[in-house]
Amino acid sequence: MLKKARKERLIWLDIMITLLTLELMSYFYYGIRSVVLAGVCVITAVIAEIVSLRMMKRRFTADDLTCTSDAMILALMFPAVMDYKIAVIAVLFAIIAAKNVFGGRLNMIFSPAAAAYIFVLTSWGHQLLQYTEPHVKTGIFEKPTGLVNSASHTFNMTGNVDHTDFELLLGNFSGPCGSVSILLLVVAAVVLIFRRSISAGAFIGTVFGTGFFACVTPMISSRADSFKYSLVMNMVLFSAIYIVSDIRIAPKRNYYAFFYGLFIGVISYVLVLTMAKENAIVIVSVLFTPIALGFKNLEKRIEKAASEHTSEKDNEASESVTAGKEMTEGE
Amino acid sequence: MFLINDLITLLAANLILSQALGTSTIFIAAGSRKNLVGTACVITLFTTIGSAAAYLIDAELPASFSDLRLLFYTLIIGILYILLLTAVYYVGRSYFEDFRKYIHVSAFNCAVMGTLFTISKRASMDSSLFELGGYVSAGFEAGIGFIIAALILTVAYRKLNSAKVPAAFRGFPAMLVYLGIISMAVYSLK
Amino acid sequence: MNSRKKNLFGGILHDNIVLSGLMVISPVIICGDTLKNAMALIYAFSAITFLSVLISSFVPKKLPYTAKIIIYALISAAVYVPVKLAAEEFYPDSIERIGIYYPLLAVNSLIVFQTEAKFFKMKKLDMMISLIFCIIGFDAVMLLTGFLRELFAYGTINSKIVDVNTLISGLSQPFGGFIFLGLMCGVYRFIRSLVSKDHRQVRSEASVSDK
Repeated sequence: MLKKARKERLIWLDIMITLLTLELMSYFYYGIRSVVLAGVCVITAVIAEIVSLRMMKRRFTADDLTCTSDAMILALMFPAVMDYKIAVIAVLFAIIAAKNVFGGRLNMIFSPAAAAYIFVLTSWGHQLLQYTEPHVKTGIFEKPTGLVNSASHTFNMTGNVDHTDFELLLGNFSGPCGSVSILLLVVAAVVLIFRRSISAGAFIGTVFGTGFFACVTPMISSRADSFKYSLVMNMVLFSAIYIVSDIRIAPKRNYYAFFYGLFIGVISYVLVLTMAKENAIVIVSVLFTPIALGFKNLEKRIEKAASEHTSEKDNEASESVTAGKEMTEGE
Repeated sequence: MFLINDLITLLAANLILSQALGTSTIFIAAGSRKNLVGTACVITLFTTIGSAAAYLIDAELPASFSDLRLLFYTLIIGILYILLLTAVYYVGRSYFEDFRKYIHVSAFNCAVMGTLFTISKRASMDSSLFELGGYVSAGFEAGIGFIIAALILTVAYRKLNSAKVPAAFRGFPAMLVYLGIISMAVYSLK
Repeated sequence: MNSRKKNLFGGILHDNIVLSGLMVISPVIICGDTLKNAMALIYAFSAITFLSVLISSFVPKKLPYTAKIIIYALISAAVYVPVKLAAEEFYPDSIERIGIYYPLLAVNSLIVFQTEAKFFKMKKLDMMISLIFCIIGFDAVMLLTGFLRELFAYGTINSKIVDVNTLISGLSQPFGGFIFLGLMCGVYRFIRSLVSKDHRQVRSEASVSDK
């Protein structure tokens, strides 16, 4: 039990470190506003968690700090100039409606950040999908000006990307404040996979599904470019790491997790291709929650059957030993 | 690719997720996983056959008597209800006792009646849909939608009724929020 | 409160048909987004349910269950006609907005199932009192839902603009209705458990172990 709790905290720590690195990059591009936004989200999450745990008659422990990583993920998916009130409402939705109503971290069903992102998308979609250009730094209480569509939107609608590969790697293009730094995301993915802090199967499945379909039915004339941009745009990489591969949600076994990720990757790619749906992967990851739950139920049944099989074998072995002893005694 | 698109369309047109039709019924059936799937299958039967009968009523009923549509729909569902019970009684008496509860729950509810009214409304707005095949396929689709919603609820059944869920939210309230979040994701696809 | 009193007056708080029984929730989810819609639904639900149950109580008890259910549904479908004609006079705008949910009120679980399971096991007077309180319970939830959802989704109260600076438009959508009703249902149970001081009374019969 203690080992499990320690592992949970280490996972949270790993994820927080990578998220803070992304936040640092976001600060570099969008200034103090993005840091304040993340701070507001994190503080709201902690308060909401403490209050809701108190109402559930549970104590707030270090394990419950996972709410902060959910808040950080959400903050990094927002534009840096997101209205604070909306951010607060979104975090409250994530912590209360998408998490604690179902029993909190002990009984997770949805990724809180993904559910809250869709909540914001359905109520304040216009504000959510309008961004400032990188290096345009907005003051903490300043009203944002010069908002533009994301590079993903332009790519989905026209198939054009007006950025060099170097800019893409560094995240120097308009989009959510923390989820576009591709180089950092790749490093984060590798670190988290090797530290077993995310589901490797789900991550590989998502990347493989998106990449494979991007090659088979390319969005643009060049298959290589289609492959590259399909993974870079629409928060695919970010969501693949922090939402789809969330070990609280994804199936435990990598084999099932791979297929779970694969389905999400393929379907979100089709949605982008046919409907030009920006950041479709977040929506699909929530829609596929029942699939993850189905896989988990299957895993439980397999584990149960395996343990029954083992105990049967043990019983048989002990019975044969007893029978052998009796026979020797008889002789 | 087209299959995926069709699947998404089917999900988006789901009567439970998009119109909350039959939500009460699905919660009544949510007492057990077996009940959920059984009820969903019988409802599909009702919506499919009921749609065919609804087509005949819509074709024959004069517009000035449109307020009587509910009465006629109720009548046909009533007849179907009796026919289905009779059929199950004569075909398989051994499982009649088990099966009849699904028929009782599935006959008169918003899922079946709502499907008939939705199809009728769509056909009144688009005359190309006003044909027997269109009615039956729409009824069948609605039933399939109900089965999908039942499956979505079934896989989460354990978690939503777990002792870890706060007592106040355990069961129905958690199911409502769960369906709400799935419905929100479906809505955001539109 | 003894069990007879609970049966009679419980429809408002203790055994609210929407929050506790989760009956007739489709109209609440879909149409309960404005006060005007709520008022129109309250009128239709109250009239149809009261008259239907009252008339249905004269149906002979000896008939088979299936026959009785069909007769109840037919009675409420017949009651729906004059109620709708009257509604066209009083709430002409809402009829269009409520659409198919208007006739669906006639096949609500309260009429079709609760009549047999609850009301017709009571004496006539008790039945009427209990029915009225059940209807008031639905009306109260409908009003509260309509008021809160209209306020936070549209920033209005009965179509009059009020000063709400951050509107949650999703609350007016079906998914908003699902989530709002789920949360309201949880809060209702929480308060009920606090009032009764007995957490075992909270409906948790479906509790399943995770192991």
